[in-house]
Amino acid sequence: MASTPNLAASFDPATSPDLVKRAELSEIDASTKAPALFFLISAVLWLLVGTAFALISSFKLHTPGFLGDIEWLTFGRARSAHLNAVIYGWSVNAAFAVSFWLMARLSRSVLRHSGLLMIAGAFWNIGVTIGITGILIGDSTSIEWLEMPPYATPLLFVAYALIGAWALITFRFGKSGHIYVSQWYLLAALFWFPWLYSIAQIMLIIEPARGTVQALVNWWFAHNVLGLWFTPIGLAAVYYFLPKVLGKPIHSYYLSILGFWSLALFYNWAGVHHLIGGPVPAWVLSAGIAASFMMAIPVIVTGINHHMTMVGSFGALKYSPTLRFIVFGAVSYTLTSLIGSLMADRQVSEVVHFTHFTVAHAHQGMYAFFTMVMFGSIYYILPRILLKEWPSAMLISLHFWTVVIGITVYVVGLSIGGIKQGLEMNNADIPFLQVVANTIPYLLSRSMSGMLMTIGHLAFAVNFAWMLIRPRASQDTAPTLFQNPPEMEVSR
Amino acid sequence: MEWVFYGIAFFVSVLVTGSAVYALYWSSKKGQLRDLEQGALSIFDDKEPVGQPTDFFPGKRPRRKAP
Repeated sequence: MASTPNLAASFDPATSPDLVKRAELSEIDASTKAPALFFLISAVLWLLVGTAFALISSFKLHTPGFLGDIEWLTFGRARSAHLNAVIYGWSVNAAFAVSFWLMARLSRSVLRHSGLLMIAGAFWNIGVTIGITGILIGDSTSIEWLEMPPYATPLLFVAYALIGAWALITFRFGKSGHIYVSQWYLLAALFWFPWLYSIAQIMLIIEPARGTVQALVNWWFAHNVLGLWFTPIGLAAVYYFLPKVLGKPIHSYYLSILGFWSLALFYNWAGVHHLIGGPVPAWVLSAGIAASFMMAIPVIVTGINHHMTMVGSFGALKYSPTLRFIVFGAVSYTLTSLIGSLMADRQVSEVVHFTHFTVAHAHQGMYAFFTMVMFGSIYYILPRILLKEWPSAMLISLHFWTVVIGITVYVVGLSIGGIKQGLEMNNADIPFLQVVANTIPYLLSRSMSGMLMTIGHLAFAVNFAWMLIRPRASQDTAPTLFQNPPEMEVSR
Repeated sequence: MEWVFYGIAFFVSVLVTGSAVYALYWSSKKGQLRDLEQGALSIFDDKEPVGQPTDFFPGKRPRRKAP
């Protein structure tokens, strides 16, 4: 595969005449192999770590004595370790792998300077490991979504800068005349994240803003990480895999572009709805509420578009593992976003704020939408970079059904429990401890669903590891795809 | 001291917003927003054409016609 010797030359495509031709998809996939595997293996390991902390935290809520005498597993630390492991460990690692695989494919350009990505990956994972260890030994900053102690974050910055630079290089070398909608989402996400993260670091950790401004910055950051980083990457994957798996173009390309630009316009304002009822200037909240409701435009547009693409092809859900996960994720995106808009309403917020409803909503967004889309993407990507089939169809089905039932029980259970909890908390006649005791059945349902999802994650991890170590069978000359030209098949 | 940081933050925010506006202007000027039918087809090619599903459970792939 072509690789430019000089990094500086990469910023100017005109200096590399050998790259003029459009690369073959199989060649592009092959060029992403080493870094994609590195990020995906890291992601799966972090998923297991995050799941373990999730179970510990969940059990502690209804059985407070559970592991109660180990100081570094107290609820405050285990819960923060769970959040950081699944967000910065699993989700970001998976997002990186899926993003650069998609970016290389959509730019029709082989991945060059993959060494940059490997270094970035090493920095990122060491940073996350130090950060989570810091949280467990009690160094958490106590700022939501930025719990990692300040000594871990510079590593993450270096890693991110390398990945951002790499993405721009790939985009610049692109040999596809058209910028597909997924590329818009990916470029925007790669561009927005350093902005969010650096401003939040400056105004919350390095030189903390005072008073309510601190809370405003905190929620601007925490909500935008979801909306301007994970959402665009998840949608980029859906917009690529949905039509690609079905073999038919997206229903309305116009709607997809409209969805992108309206998300870019409205989302940035929405985060402050977390502070409804707080001592924040009323106009800021009103602007946040208005923006939250305006988000219905990109969400409905995207939902209609995905649905209309699927119409007539629902039978494909039977034969494609990728499609199952992606469609579940896309439907969850529509649901969770509309619920999110509703939660920004002052009257609704009065009930559901500070309850388990918010927890259910967060998991519907990050798990039922984002994580499911990432699972689907990995099921598509891994066979193409390893040129083998997934070893076990049974494990894929087990993974799918356990996590689907698990997350559904989780979201429904905690949503009902949360509304009940909110109504009871607003009723001054019910003592607070009674309200807490009344949530226990719902917390138990969460632990049950957590165990179910753990089984799914283990099935996924086993299938993943099995796939890595399994030798390629001789009859696997044309695995899943697979339309590879024969010469690509034998070269590895 | 904190005002220095706020100044930087404000400047960066203006820059980010500005670049988004520029990106929209650029894409419209380059014709990215025209011929949307073609845009939707850009992810397909001769090897993986429209009408051909590309993902199956392992071992369940229907026999495909010779290429």
